[in-house]
Amino acid sequence: MSSITLALSKGRIFEETLPLLAAAGITPTDNPETSRKLIIGTNRPDVRLVIVRATDTPTYVQYGAADLGIAGKDVLLEHGGAGLYQPLDLNIAKCRLCVATQKGFDYAAATRPGGRIRVATKYINSAKAHFAAKGVHVDLIKLYGSMELAPLVGLADAIVDLVSSGNTLRANNLEEVEEIMSISSRLVVNQASLKLKREIIQPVLDAFAGAVK
Amino acid sequence: MRWVLPDHIQDALPSEAEKLERLRRRLLDAFRSHGYQLVVPPLLEYLESLTTGAGQDLRLRTFKLVDQLSGKTMGVRADMTPQVARIDAHLLNRTGVSRLCYCGSVLHALPSTLTATREPLQLGAELYGHAGIDADIEIVRLLSEVMRLAEVPASRIDLGHVGLFRVLAARAGMMPEREEELFDLLQAKDVPGLRELLADVAEPTRSALLALPTLYGGVEVLDEARRCLPDEPEIRAALDDLATLAAALADLPISFDLADLRGYHYHNGVVFAAYGSGSPAALALGGRYDRIGQAFGRARPATGFSLDLRELALHLPDATEPGAILAPTVADEALQAMVAQLRAQGEVVMTALPGHDGSWKEAGCDRQLIERDGRWTVEALQGE
Repeated sequence: MSSITLALSKGRIFEETLPLLAAAGITPTDNPETSRKLIIGTNRPDVRLVIVRATDTPTYVQYGAADLGIAGKDVLLEHGGAGLYQPLDLNIAKCRLCVATQKGFDYAAATRPGGRIRVATKYINSAKAHFAAKGVHVDLIKLYGSMELAPLVGLADAIVDLVSSGNTLRANNLEEVEEIMSISSRLVVNQASLKLKREIIQPVLDAFAGAVK
Repeated sequence: MRWVLPDHIQDALPSEAEKLERLRRRLLDAFRSHGYQLVVPPLLEYLESLTTGAGQDLRLRTFKLVDQLSGKTMGVRADMTPQVARIDAHLLNRTGVSRLCYCGSVLHALPSTLTATREPLQLGAELYGHAGIDADIEIVRLLSEVMRLAEVPASRIDLGHVGLFRVLAARAGMMPEREEELFDLLQAKDVPGLRELLADVAEPTRSALLALPTLYGGVEVLDEARRCLPDEPEIRAALDDLATLAAALADLPISFDLADLRGYHYHNGVVFAAYGSGSPAALALGGRYDRIGQAFGRARPATGFSLDLRELALHLPDATEPGAILAPTVADEALQAMVAQLRAQGEVVMTALPGHDGSWKEAGCDRQLIERDGRWTVEALQGE
């Protein structure tokens, strides 16, 4: 009897996935916020969840360590999506990938065609593609957190980061100057798993598709 | 100096090398018994002939160097299929059917996944000169036989048809670079992305392209496809081909994925991928590529498949044969005769060079030749 593993991250993605899981008749037996377990069982013996860092979800699914995963489009763009099917936009954990600068910074002048701008971000691939499409040279500085600090201390002219409410930007005297794309979470599926475990995966896929708002 | 290898490059140590060679012989023997003749194309050749008719992905994957004799750019093969097609089209000049097989290392400048090797050991079989579905049937059967011989459990063979994509993409009237994007989105079954890309494509092409990624599963997929794809001669012919194939191969674990096109750059008809349980990706890929010969001066119908022997060998159980037999260094005719006889029976017999007592178990021995009452007998290894 084969079983499936679903990879997802704690926090917003987990919370907003619960109604989708319920639609597929799946109830986790533990809450990752309170439990320290990394492998969480469900009411169904053939389905288990693994709790991973959001950026690691595509990697787990690509290598078949998980059959399914739920990952933000931002994470998928950085990963590249090799070896994955991305059949479903789950419309959860929505936010925007944006460029932000210090208030008063002349972003239009800095990004005129042929211009050059220094950008701090953890979304290296997305930032590179965005500025390349605009014809702007970009010097990228990879940071892992507290992106908002970079323009304030002169490390970068701008940042590329996820924005949902914009409160952190405002608190640090930054403003959103350009939206790169809107982001939501996708269901990703390992390619071999979809072929070999279709009888378990397909009903879950269909239930998710039916429950997406 | 630490003796580390470049990223994604590895040695095959004795136990893996033994498996690779066992599998290679087994599969090449099977090809031979099916009438496939072995060819050995060169490791490198001029870049144009290596990448003719292939897509950008193959070009990026090819290691390049400059030939100091001619000043031309050469490539190290990243895929042997175009080489074998060149041999068939340009060198053999047969008018009828020609069946060829090959096995050799290829190099990938970029690994295909984060853990993939950059030096796969590619093994494959190609059938040239027959355009009919019988050739596809033969090749899929041969692939299935290879999976059986490689002891890959619970294998599944997924069929698709590049013709469907080509007709629909032509109807959508896309520029080449957008067609590439369309292809990538279909490969990822990225329906939200497709919806965005196809926003201004007219019906019914738009719905048909959006339906493609959902058309996978058992033979019922073909009926579903007849319902939701436009009723055009080329599409009907493609679906008929798949139905014929499925009927002829009803005893195999066949399924369908009509959006799975793999390297469509040189493929133009039925394509297939074989999966084994426990492997996160397809183990073997193949399909029909009738146009590639044209680039070498002679269009020939062609179909075939190839796989990475290293990947396949991972699934092969370790050899269960007994260990080697240790023979003492004694000048004795009876002993020499006994050793020769044992070797002829397929046993491994190694000579105990002096001064290494106590290390023979490590060398792989579990038995030894001992003289008892003037006769040499094989007994369990002692004193190790």
